[in-house]
Amino acid sequence: MEIDYLSAFFFAFLATCGFGFILQVPLKSLQTSGIIGAVGWVVFIHIARTLGHSTAYANFTATIIIALMSEFAARVSKQPVNIYVIPGIIPLVPGLGMYQGMTQIISGHYEYGMNILMHAGSDAGAIAMGMMLVTSIFRMFKITNEQGKVLREKMKKRQ
Amino acid sequence: MLGKTELTREQTWNLALAIGKVLLKNGAETSRVEDTITRFCHSNNCFDVNVFVTPTMIIIGDETAVNPSLVCRIRWRSNNLSNISLVNDFTYNLDSWNKNYEETLDYLNDLLLNPPSYGLALGCFGSALSSGCFAYLLGGSFNDLGAAFITGGVTMLLLKLLSGYRMSVFWENAVAGLSVGLIALSCCAVNADCTRTNIIVGAIMPFLPGLAFTNGLRDYMAGDLISGNCRTAEALLFAISLAIGLAASLLAWHNWGWALWR
Repeated sequence: MEIDYLSAFFFAFLATCGFGFILQVPLKSLQTSGIIGAVGWVVFIHIARTLGHSTAYANFTATIIIALMSEFAARVSKQPVNIYVIPGIIPLVPGLGMYQGMTQIISGHYEYGMNILMHAGSDAGAIAMGMMLVTSIFRMFKITNEQGKVLREKMKKRQ
Repeated sequence: MLGKTELTREQTWNLALAIGKVLLKNGAETSRVEDTITRFCHSNNCFDVNVFVTPTMIIIGDETAVNPSLVCRIRWRSNNLSNISLVNDFTYNLDSWNKNYEETLDYLNDLLLNPPSYGLALGCFGSALSSGCFAYLLGGSFNDLGAAFITGGVTMLLLKLLSGYRMSVFWENAVAGLSVGLIALSCCAVNADCTRTNIIVGAIMPFLPGLAFTNGLRDYMAGDLISGNCRTAEALLFAISLAIGLAASLLAWHNWGWALWR
C-alpha cells in the first residue's frame, strides 16, 4: 500500500499541536513537540503499514525514538521531559482500541471486545516499555550522582 | 536555600507541600512529584523526609513520632504542562531565586488558583484541529476532516462550559460521547460524502483516556503500584462512560433521528 508520508507528517504535526493547546504545552515548546509527535507517527506507519509488522512492535520502536528525541530536546531547552513526551505519544496511544473494545462489550460481544481490549493493552504496554527504557537509561547516570551526594551528606551528619 | 535565605524546617515542608499540590493537580505522575519534593527537602537540609504520593493525596512526614506530618487531599486533577514546567524551573533554580518565603508561597498558590491558560477559544480550536487531523490520519477523506473539526470543537466547548458545574467525571465524559455521536450523525445527514465511523473515530480522540492508560502502565513499570492501579482503573472507567454516551446517541438516532431529517 502506498502511503503519503509527507501529508501524514503534516497532519500528525497539526494533530499534536492541537493536543498541545488542550494540554497547555508552553508556547515556545509547541513546535518541537509537534515535530516529535509527527516523526513518531511516521515511524509508526512505516513499520506497521509499509513493512507490515505488528502494531505493538511499531509502537515500541516509535516510542523509543520519541523518547530519545524528547530527552535531547528537554536537555537543550532545560524543560521537564513530560512537556515533549506526553504530546509526542498522543498519536500512538491506543485510545481508539479501548473505546472500540468498550463499545463491543456494551453491545454484548464480550469475546470480540476483550480481543480488542487486549490488543489495546499490549499496544499501551509497548509504549510504556519504550518510554521506561529510555527514561531509565537517562536516569541511571543522574541518580547515581544525586544519591552519592545525599549519602555523603548523611555520613557527614553522623560523624 | 531559597536564594540567599535559609529556610526553617516548617517553611521547607510548607513549600514542599505547595510544590506537590501544583504538580499533582496539573497532571504530573506520582514518581515525579515524589522526586521533586524529596529533592527540594534535601537541598534545604531535611534529609529524613518521607513522601508518599498517590493520585489523590500527598503525605509528607518523617520517621519520628515527634514531628507532625502534612496531609493533603487532591480531588480535581487536570492537565496543564505549563505549570509543571514553571515549577520545574523553580526547583532547579533555587540558588538564583530572588523571592523570599512568603512571596514564593504566594507564587505557588497563585499557580494553583490561576494557572496559565490558552483560554477557551484556543482550547476548543486545538481540540477541533486534532480531531480533524486524526480523522484524516486514521483513514478519512477531507469531508470527514471538516466534519470532525466541527464535532471536536463543539464538544470541547460543551465540556468546558459544563466543567464549571462540577458534575462527576463519569457523566461529563458520557455527555462528551453523546455530543460527539449526535453532531457526527448530523454532519452525515447534511453531507452524504461523510463516513460516520471516520468522523466519530477522529472526534473522540481528544476525550479518550489512552494517555491515562499508558501513564498507568508506566507507573506500574516504575514501581508505583497504587498509582498504576488508580490510573488504569480511571482510564477504563472513562472509556466505559464515553462508550455509553456514544451508544446512547447512536441508539437514539437509530430510533428517532432519521425521521427528523427525511
